[in-house]
Amino acid sequence: MKALVRKEFRENVKLAALGLVIYTLLLVQQYRDYVASPTDMSQPLAHGGPQGMTGVFCAIFGAVLGWLQLHNERRPDLWAFLMHRPMSRTGTFFGKALAGLGLYALVVGLPLIGFMVWARWPGHVAAPFEVTMLRPLAAYVLIGIVFYFAGMLTGLRQARWYASRALGLGVAIAVYFLVQMSPAFWQAMLVILLGAGILIAANLGGFQSHGCYRGQPAWGKAGLTAALMIGSLFVAVTAVMLLSSFFPRAESPMTRSGYVMTTNGAVFKEIQRPGKPAEIVDLEGNALVDAKTGRMIELRDFQLRAARASQFKTEQDEWARFRPWMQADNSLFFAWHATPDTLWYYWGRYGRLVGYDIAARRCIGSLGPNGFSQDLSGGGDRFINSEDHRGQRTLWTATTVYLVDVEKRSTKPLFTTTTDDPISMGSEIVLNGYDWDYEAVATKRFIHLLTADGKPVWKAPYEPTAPAYTQLGIYFLQPPGQFALWMTPDRLESQRADWKLPIHVVWLARDQGVVRSADLPELAPPISKPPLEARLVSAVVPPALLMILPYLRGGPSPAELPRELLVLSWGGAALVCLPIGWWLGRRYRFGFAAQAGWAVFHLLFGVPGLLAFLSVQEWPAREACPNCKKLRVVDHAHCEHCGEDFAPPEKTGTEVFAPLQAG
Amino acid sequence: MNEQPVIRTSGLTRYFGAHPAVYELNLEVPRGGVFALLGRNGSGKSTTIRMLLGLLEPTRGGGSILGYDIRALPPEARARIGYLTEEHQLYGWMSVQECGDFQSRFYPTWNGKIFRGIIGHFSLRPTALVKSLSRGERAGLCLALTLAPEPELLILDDPAVGLDPVARRSLVESMIYLTRRSDRTIFFSTHQLPDVERVADHIAVLDHSVLRACCPLETFRNSVQQVRLRFPGAPPPLPKIPGLLQATRSEGELRVTCVHYNGATEAALRGLAPTQMEPVPISLEDAFISYLGDRGEKSFILSETEAQP
Repeated sequence: MKALVRKEFRENVKLAALGLVIYTLLLVQQYRDYVASPTDMSQPLAHGGPQGMTGVFCAIFGAVLGWLQLHNERRPDLWAFLMHRPMSRTGTFFGKALAGLGLYALVVGLPLIGFMVWARWPGHVAAPFEVTMLRPLAAYVLIGIVFYFAGMLTGLRQARWYASRALGLGVAIAVYFLVQMSPAFWQAMLVILLGAGILIAANLGGFQSHGCYRGQPAWGKAGLTAALMIGSLFVAVTAVMLLSSFFPRAESPMTRSGYVMTTNGAVFKEIQRPGKPAEIVDLEGNALVDAKTGRMIELRDFQLRAARASQFKTEQDEWARFRPWMQADNSLFFAWHATPDTLWYYWGRYGRLVGYDIAARRCIGSLGPNGFSQDLSGGGDRFINSEDHRGQRTLWTATTVYLVDVEKRSTKPLFTTTTDDPISMGSEIVLNGYDWDYEAVATKRFIHLLTADGKPVWKAPYEPTAPAYTQLGIYFLQPPGQFALWMTPDRLESQRADWKLPIHVVWLARDQGVVRSADLPELAPPISKPPLEARLVSAVVPPALLMILPYLRGGPSPAELPRELLVLSWGGAALVCLPIGWWLGRRYRFGFAAQAGWAVFHLLFGVPGLLAFLSVQEWPAREACPNCKKLRVVDHAHCEHCGEDFAPPEKTGTEVFAPLQAG
Repeated sequence: MNEQPVIRTSGLTRYFGAHPAVYELNLEVPRGGVFALLGRNGSGKSTTIRMLLGLLEPTRGGGSILGYDIRALPPEARARIGYLTEEHQLYGWMSVQECGDFQSRFYPTWNGKIFRGIIGHFSLRPTALVKSLSRGERAGLCLALTLAPEPELLILDDPAVGLDPVARRSLVESMIYLTRRSDRTIFFSTHQLPDVERVADHIAVLDHSVLRACCPLETFRNSVQQVRLRFPGAPPPLPKIPGLLQATRSEGELRVTCVHYNGATEAALRGLAPTQMEPVPISLEDAFISYLGDRGEKSFILSETEAQP
């Protein structure tokens, strides 16, 4: 195998050199961009730019390398020269793959290691770094391997439909997106493994049969069929989306409504009916009428009366835990504040602000609740801000909200509570866009509104409380000193309670606290019919995929798909794909096991399954049986209708046959 | 000596679309000697070879080569079979020596002397790049790569195609002198009948995908005969003659080429009442062309030619 690996290395070294130059130049461009903006508050290794670029480069280079490694040798005689040697076909495949992956590792690895060394070298990058931040880059590099095998399959496959050779790339494209969407890193790795496994099986099977479906072992056929099915799914969905763009889009037939509070604290409903202007009604349903004109008030005029509000959440909703791992890995720190000569980041690992000198691009120390420290850990309490509650001035611990001054590298307590009523959220309220007016603080039991210098304005019980009521809104009413506090249930909790959780509204006044309160019925979102695109797409999506899609999507509870979509998908599979597949199987005399297996496959995988079936099969010719005159397939020894053998060639009387003697 | 045939096929068939490229081929190639597979372009020679080597899946039927099923040839079987392809394609970026080095890593029986001998015979510089070689030189290199592992069975797919006469002669000479060994079998397809005449012991003829002849070369040569019949005027119409391949009519003369010439054939021809009837010696090439050419009568009588639509 060593000789084959060496030969593959030499054969593809030019392409590798080209790839190396291109990728190096792309990374150099990233480096130049970073160096050109000294106040850029990003970590290049955890930044979307280098990551996305690496992802695209790895995908393209991997696919091209894999394809060329096979394509160059697919001329029949050269392929025969390669394959006809005392080496197993499995060995030949792995020899090629080993060399290809070695080259890929060099092309991608060398510049990336260089880039990492540069980024980690003290004095180069003024931003925090954690090894975990490299995981997205590593995932993109691994996705390139999946593209490599997809390219290989494209080069290897013998197909009647020439375009279907590229269907294997669909697996790699699916892996590319699924890895980005996976909630956990291990799930992303599983997706890569699964994609690579399917393509390796398809390639390895293809090497046994020189790229044809016929003659492959069962696992090779399964891998190839799965790969083409996924590719067909992409083709079918794209075709349907294009097709649906030709249909006129109907306006949404739904009526939507929501609450609006005016500056005097009154609550109205805004109703948007299809094809009609928005209607403003009071809670009894009476339309709001302009006293001067006697006509219904228009939305534009009404919005002038709406109170200014500040909305925030006291807890992350359940969906936050299911956000893609890539996003989480890229959010291990976030930019907090920049001064003319320092950059400050909130770094979750240490619970502190970490400062970097812009000129020296080195860490200058960290700022925690106990003040500035030369090192990162500092000691003492930690800030507990989440990424959702970024601010410019305040950070908080479990019991104290601090006013942070990075210029003076000092912290000052603004608000303090007890350990049995810990802080869940602090929010800086800026009403005019630049002046810090208020600080809202939610503890476990109360909601506090403070002035910017920490003086209490009011305090209201946080009831009903989290986890059901996590969305808070503070409305600033007229005359000044009047407020309203809205406590809205979390959408998911509302859904679980069948939209029966009310919205709790509290009216407050400065230094008086709660004046009155009311519950407003929650407005259930309208039940929407799936749009045309969704209906068309569901007709071509495999029913099996549609069934597990809600679970694949991740999240606290799988949302049910509209029944109409499921009916379309299953109906299409059962009424179109299954009969076509069954008829073809009978026509070409499949065995019972094959016929039954394909029937289940068509039922589960619908249109993409049928397209994959049509792509992989090499339909044998049919010719008339001389005995029964019916058409019979030529790849069976006997006629399927009458059992007659194929007749020997017709004699012409000129045959010359004689016994041959060994030499 | 093992009397089992080195190649045996049974109902071997391959379709490309609706067209059978090889149809119900039943062939046995004995061990030892040189076996030539003949046929016109598109008659199925290369397809047969590719199926025998497991490079192409048969549509139906099967076979064995050196006792191994052709659908699942293991590496050890491929080690015993040398295969020279029609186009002599190699890796253009390799030098002659690198080609040898590359190939030698796979074959424990690699004989460097043979390799050097053949590239010397073809005057190939070891440092020359493959892409700079002429077609004949590339054929020589391919032959060296095929013969150096000293295979038990050598399969050559039209090795002389596209070569000039000198290169062709070199190739055939190498083949003859370096491979003649009692336990080695050479199976080759070709159009070059002089080469066949010089080296082959047995031949098989494929005609329109069907095996029409499989016999010792001498048997084939003896089976095809030509007779010249003279007439005072235009030759009379031919009756049905068994084994008729071709009949050429000209003014006062009829030449009949047929296979399996025997007493019945002679009686049928004498029934035409020729003034003279004599056998005409023909070469293998003529016999082969008659065998694979268009069957039936050809007329060179001007009035008859003009009368034809």
